[in-house]
Amino acid sequence: MNIVTRIWGTLISRPPFYVMAIFLLFMLLVPFLTDDLYLIGVLVLANVYAIFASSWDILSGYSGKENFGHTLFIGAGAYGAAYLNLYLGVPPMLNLLLCGLIGAVFGVLIGIPCLPLVGPYLALATMAAASIAERLTMILSKYTGGEEGLYGLDPITDGPVGDYYLSLILVIITTIILMAIGYSKQGLILRSIKEDETASEAAGINTTRYKLVAFAISAFFAGMGGAFYAHYQMYTGPSSLSIIMAVTIIIVCMIGGMGTIVGPVLAAYMLTVSNEFLRSIGDLRLLVYTGLLVVIVLFLPRGVFTVILERLPRFGQKSRGV
Amino acid sequence: MVALEILIYGAVLSGIYALLAVGFALIFGVARVINLTHGAFYMLGAYITYALSVLLNVPLILSIIGGMAIVFLLAICLDRFIIERIRTTMINVLITTLALSLFADQVILQIFGPDNRNIPAVISDRVTLLGVDIAGQRLLSLIISVAVIATLWLIITRTRMGNALLATAQDPEAAQLMGINTGRMFMITMGIAAMMAALAGGIVGSFLTVAPEMGMLPIIKAFSIVILGGLGSIGGSIIAALLIGYLETIVAYLISFNATELVPLVVIFITLIFRPAGIFGKRRGF
Repeated sequence: MNIVTRIWGTLISRPPFYVMAIFLLFMLLVPFLTDDLYLIGVLVLANVYAIFASSWDILSGYSGKENFGHTLFIGAGAYGAAYLNLYLGVPPMLNLLLCGLIGAVFGVLIGIPCLPLVGPYLALATMAAASIAERLTMILSKYTGGEEGLYGLDPITDGPVGDYYLSLILVIITTIILMAIGYSKQGLILRSIKEDETASEAAGINTTRYKLVAFAISAFFAGMGGAFYAHYQMYTGPSSLSIIMAVTIIIVCMIGGMGTIVGPVLAAYMLTVSNEFLRSIGDLRLLVYTGLLVVIVLFLPRGVFTVILERLPRFGQKSRGV
Repeated sequence: MVALEILIYGAVLSGIYALLAVGFALIFGVARVINLTHGAFYMLGAYITYALSVLLNVPLILSIIGGMAIVFLLAICLDRFIIERIRTTMINVLITTLALSLFADQVILQIFGPDNRNIPAVISDRVTLLGVDIAGQRLLSLIISVAVIATLWLIITRTRMGNALLATAQDPEAAQLMGINTGRMFMITMGIAAMMAALAGGIVGSFLTVAPEMGMLPIIKAFSIVILGGLGSIGGSIIAALLIGYLETIVAYLISFNATELVPLVVIFITLIFRPAGIFGKRRGF
């Protein structure tokens, strides 16, 4: 009983928690509200982007180490899923876990050399790493299918609604874990690194370890998302490694509000769905995203949802501030 | 024979890279801004030149100048209305300028479509130099690059405005106290650099493909070259441009055309890890 009241207390006292809970519960009901398979498909895409964006956020939004090559981890998961499934017959569900681990390995491999880098140096290094991977898929086209990519992966569930629920469950798991990390000591230390890395080190914190763990966690969920996406499309190609995709993810996070997890997740839904409404005019995804980003950066630099969440009431708290 | 071809084609490629990278380095040096719209200026320069010369039949040279003028104005507006307000936050500058260059790509894509375009050459004859057969325009682009960079060098080192630019680069606050309008210096730098990028776009349009996404790879290369040469160092950028230009040419000739994009990226990644300050940089910019 005690634990239940404690969880309930935490949930209602923090706007990010209850907003997220209400939103995800609503998303669970969506298939009962609509039969529109196209809309369900759009929401699966939104789920995937929510995973990509929140996994970017736990590293870059929290610690201020902006990763411009998040697609490297996504691509590692997507291509990993393709190889494991096509050549070794690994079932899709197991692949989600395995490819998350593959992603995490890449995260550590990229994380170690990139740890000392800051600002534009890190941006360029991560961007270069992702571009190297993208070029390699072209050069090694014999094994990677080149521009065509790899086809014929096993579907992960038996239909669109199944895909929807599975992806939503992944979003729920991802957000619960990432928010727990964000509110834990790990998250606090990442924030302190963003504010002043030298001061954190001076306070006796082994910042390297925390940054590396953040790289691994971020890459794990990106790899898992990549694997889901590959199985969902039954295909994987070099577009999963493109810089445009990496930039889109950062834009989603910046519009939503970096370092909040909730912001990027909600922004992923907002942008993906609004983009589909605009599809009748043409493929304006990037035009809308980039235009919106500039407006947000100029007028709401901390992101749309950060500002909204701060205005929401905290329930059940009498004296303690957070 | 191959050696001579590499020598000449490498010089042409390096010249274009240097033209882009020097502008990029100049903006960073003076305004401490990493301006990733630089590639979009290059692309816009090419498209405006194309639109004026091919669609509106304006003489080619005037079209190139027109492209430079329009891009100059765009750059000044960009600095005034956007960069000026976010200058202090590096990530905002990086992602906003990158987003704006994607925005420009999309606008051009909507107007002109995804097809590759071609701009006619100022010099359409082929020239034989040291026994190597080369399009006159390529040679012209090399000559223009060298001339423009030399002029810029003279402006910076010999004129009053150049001194003001250098002072701003060294210490914006002190420069302001000396009566230099640093905001205007930032704007001028941005305009000059953008004009150089537009010029590069206008002259390469006859031998490289003109497409909406043409600015994306060059800007990553310019970014790399500038970091390789030490952020903000113009001399370093020129040497790094030569390095990358020749490296790509050598790889294209001796290994495989497919690997041209890969090798410089690997070099950059390794340099960043072992010498983040760049080959010639004394200290990190950040």
